[in-house]
Amino acid sequence: MTPQAARCPFHGDPETNRADTGRDSGGQDQQAANHSRQASDYPVADWVDVAALASDPYPIYARLRAESPVAWVPQLNKFLVTNYTGCHAVEQDQEIFSAEVTGATMTRAIGARPMLRKDDPEHSADRAPMNPVLRPKSIKEVWGPVFEGNAETYLEKVAEIGPKEADLNRDYAAPLASQNLIDLLGLKDVSVEQVRRWSHDFIAGMGNVLDDPAIWERCDASTAEADRLLEELIPYYRQTPDASMVSAWANSGLPTSNVAANVKLTISGGMNEPQHMVTNMVWALSYHAEQSALVLTDPSLWAAAFDEAVRWQSPIGMYPRETTQETILEGVRIPAGAGIGVVVASANRDAAHFGDSAADFDINRPKRPHLAFGSGVHLCAGHWAAKTSIGQLAVPMAYERFPRLRVDEQRNESWDGWVFRGLTSLPVTWN
Amino acid sequence: MPTITYTQPNGTQQTLEVAEGTTLMRAAVSNGITGIIGECGGQAMCATCHVYVRPEYAQALPEIREDEDEMLDCAAAERTDRSRLACQIKIDAELAEIVVDIPAGQL
Repeated sequence: MTPQAARCPFHGDPETNRADTGRDSGGQDQQAANHSRQASDYPVADWVDVAALASDPYPIYARLRAESPVAWVPQLNKFLVTNYTGCHAVEQDQEIFSAEVTGATMTRAIGARPMLRKDDPEHSADRAPMNPVLRPKSIKEVWGPVFEGNAETYLEKVAEIGPKEADLNRDYAAPLASQNLIDLLGLKDVSVEQVRRWSHDFIAGMGNVLDDPAIWERCDASTAEADRLLEELIPYYRQTPDASMVSAWANSGLPTSNVAANVKLTISGGMNEPQHMVTNMVWALSYHAEQSALVLTDPSLWAAAFDEAVRWQSPIGMYPRETTQETILEGVRIPAGAGIGVVVASANRDAAHFGDSAADFDINRPKRPHLAFGSGVHLCAGHWAAKTSIGQLAVPMAYERFPRLRVDEQRNESWDGWVFRGLTSLPVTWN
Repeated sequence: MPTITYTQPNGTQQTLEVAEGTTLMRAAVSNGITGIIGECGGQAMCATCHVYVRPEYAQALPEIREDEDEMLDCAAAERTDRSRLACQIKIDAELAEIVVDIPAGQL
């Protein structure tokens, strides 16, 4: 064996390697197809309470995995797949389990079908141009310094707010995720608040299965604003290319409508999940003092801490697929045209894959593949960007800046969601 | 039919008969070959399908492109001059038989 000449930015010298690690974002799409329910054909989990899912989905996931890991959930008009092997099997077969789902609210929300709701080869044509921007080398060399500068800026703001008032979500994770996304996309002169609003409005539209007109109105207004900006930016980047994602797409030869749809997809999926990972990591480390001490004395463990946090509390809990033909999944017969919910947050707690300690947060657990970024062709395109900007920069830098950074138990934190799940507020304090 | 032989780190070998047009990664993942994850589905975005190709088959392989080269630097196991991403090796008329060694880790 010969020694390697080049060095991966992610496996480099831990002293200098601050950067070691998003997946196409998930979306909650409406499954419009209705099929006759034949209870004898498949398990039915009519006991699933959607409100309870949003407040804490994990007990429900555990029961689903134990009783029927592929089950029809009438309240959601979907089969939920909750074990690891089932979710993995769905991801490996785009021909039977299509991403091009019927009645996709995602497509309605952003005005055109983005790559996340396409199968190959159409998906690949949209996706390939941005892979070079998001591979480790570009992320480390071009974007690492940008992400680091942004983290410094917002840490300064957290310091000004102080340990009695700071909210890590509001004051750090949210604006930082927005600024990183603005830079990586190359959106230029838009504000952190504006892009956050777009992202929220798009996501609300994607989840608007009940067709609330007020949600559509806000979503359409944000779509129009983003489209106006892109009408200027796409020709600009065709003249003046740079290392950004919009530039890569603008120069890919793809029609402008594809570019715009995928930029809006990225604005939707590239905001909440990085934001949630910043707060998830600090929350997990706060409640696991021994592991926190380990990672603070050995910075090479930040990569494992990030990976374990994204497995343990996966920011994207579920995403949809649709069967193109009748099939059998994990022994359960599923009809053609059925909506499938791939519950990766549950698969990531499956004891059959991760062992009896699957429900525990353990940065030292044996390395096993998890599905937090998905797997297969829709694997989060931004996963290297996330590992770097959060796992190697945003979170370690916060601990360096604020000694004994921890959850402030004097104030209330809040979690929300199951399709997308994360902390909506995280009061923190430090010494 | 063309064959792919996967050798585990402990020396165990499994040989698959595969259709032309498939890749070393796809065949492994579809047939449950341990040690090849193929997380990104073949886009050279993850380096979890790293294999060592036996030297006698090296001639028949396509050149390593820039994207594969970059990702091989990120493989969990040591990169050697036999290292390839299994997703970038397609079975076709030029390559009717191949033997590869699977590294001890992909993550």
